[in-house]
Amino acid sequence: MIEIIELSKHYGPPGKRITAVDKLSFTIESGIIFGLLGPNGAGKTTTIKMLTAVSRPDSGTCLIDGFDIFKKPLELKERIGVVPQENNLDRELTAYENLKIYAMLHRVENAEAKIGQIFSQMGLSDRQDLIVTKYSGGMQRRLLLARALLREPAVLFLDEPSIGLDPQIRRQMWDIIRETKTSGRTVIITTHYIEEAEALCDRIAILSKGRLIALDTPAGLKARIGGYAVEFMDVNGKISRFIAASKDEAHDRARSCNCSVTIRPSNLEDVFIELTGERIE
Amino acid sequence: MRHLDWYPVFYREMLLFRRKLLKLGYLFSAMVVPIIYLVTFGLGLGRNMKIQGADYLTFLIPGLVAMSSMNNSYTWVASALNLNRLYFKTFQIFVQAPISSSAIMIGEVLAGIAKGLFASGLILIVGFIAAPNLHLTWLFFLALLLNCILFSSLGVIVGMITNTHEDISTYNNFFILPMAFFSGTFFPVDKMPALLKWLIYLFPLTHTNIVIRQTVWNSAVSTSLLVLVLYAAVFFLIGSRLIKNYSE
Repeated sequence: MIEIIELSKHYGPPGKRITAVDKLSFTIESGIIFGLLGPNGAGKTTTIKMLTAVSRPDSGTCLIDGFDIFKKPLELKERIGVVPQENNLDRELTAYENLKIYAMLHRVENAEAKIGQIFSQMGLSDRQDLIVTKYSGGMQRRLLLARALLREPAVLFLDEPSIGLDPQIRRQMWDIIRETKTSGRTVIITTHYIEEAEALCDRIAILSKGRLIALDTPAGLKARIGGYAVEFMDVNGKISRFIAASKDEAHDRARSCNCSVTIRPSNLEDVFIELTGERIE
Repeated sequence: MRHLDWYPVFYREMLLFRRKLLKLGYLFSAMVVPIIYLVTFGLGLGRNMKIQGADYLTFLIPGLVAMSSMNNSYTWVASALNLNRLYFKTFQIFVQAPISSSAIMIGEVLAGIAKGLFASGLILIVGFIAAPNLHLTWLFFLALLLNCILFSSLGVIVGMITNTHEDISTYNNFFILPMAFFSGTFFPVDKMPALLKWLIYLFPLTHTNIVIRQTVWNSAVSTSLLVLVLYAAVFFLIGSRLIKNYSE
């Protein structure tokens, strides 16, 4: 279990301080896919950086299985795998060399066998001796995931795992992330894709401006605002939206307007707009 | 720190270095500057000059070795660390690995030493061709090694504190370049005006140049060695501390 307690982080000089993460507190149960959802600048990446030993909080802390990750950073590093938002592969080395160095750094046992196995799992076996610059964007992303899984981490962090990927490769990534969960690991992902959060996450924390707005299952979040969205389009093509608690209410609303109307199930974007008044994407 | 935790850090640098060596341009660029100095000062200006009783080339070559080892150890470490930290983000891989900050420091410094020694070797090859009577003592190698440790550690410090890649050249222009010219590489320090001398004796490279040219142990050698060891230790500790306190 991961307990985040009053975690805060500011950037910039005194007087011009920007609050990136503002007294964030929540708990992540083990063995689930947990999503941090919010627009750019919501504090998702800053939170992930603090939880993965590359950034220190100004205040607050985080406990994993009861130990304080900022007091025992080595214990944290023994447990985590990270797929960062920015590709940090060694581009001038081969894919194999990238994984080998990582395996050495993390003292992975039977490294040769595990590297071979993960290459075939990712469908990269025939390309392991290529220099990383020769890899496509999608392949590099798979290689990042392969590297993070190499040490079989208890907690896998993915920061915007499918950003910039085409839909087919995105779905492949999702399949691998789901498989990771079935092997008993906790997966924490950040995303600003509604579809990704809905497809993958067991629980979702919605963040805005460094604060926690809501935390629930996707269904629970939608139930909070109402299950149906009614969208009205006026003559200029401008869309306005109404959230209805029931199908009947949605139909009543739809009939009230003499314009183009769509009724659909509400989604996490609607939740975000209702709770913050802003859009995600 | 566990045994050999530094090795993956060093190994990675060596893999990258080997790939660079295979490109012809690297060898050429590593050698061209010292060869220009050797030709300009050694064969041009200093052809009929004697310094401290020996011909000028014999005086110059150990100085060029010291200078090249400084430049290569320092620049490679500072520049690579800065780029790895700010642009490629590969430094974060080390930070997220379950190894201590001193393991990262040792790996980086050893890689810097390897690169400094490699460049020094190239100069020595050219040096022995230009001045076959060149005589190297164990003090030469001791000074060279300390010089590489010291400037690799300084490279880590600069690589960790600079926030843009351009800042690296600022440090070069303020510290490394003056040191290359004023620390006894091309002419003995005692020819410098007295006012500047105290500053010159603060430069670590001055002490490397004192030791690297000595054939016998004397009190000047002991003092300079002590200064070099102190610089190396202090830079190493500061570098380790900066890695330990790394936070984005």
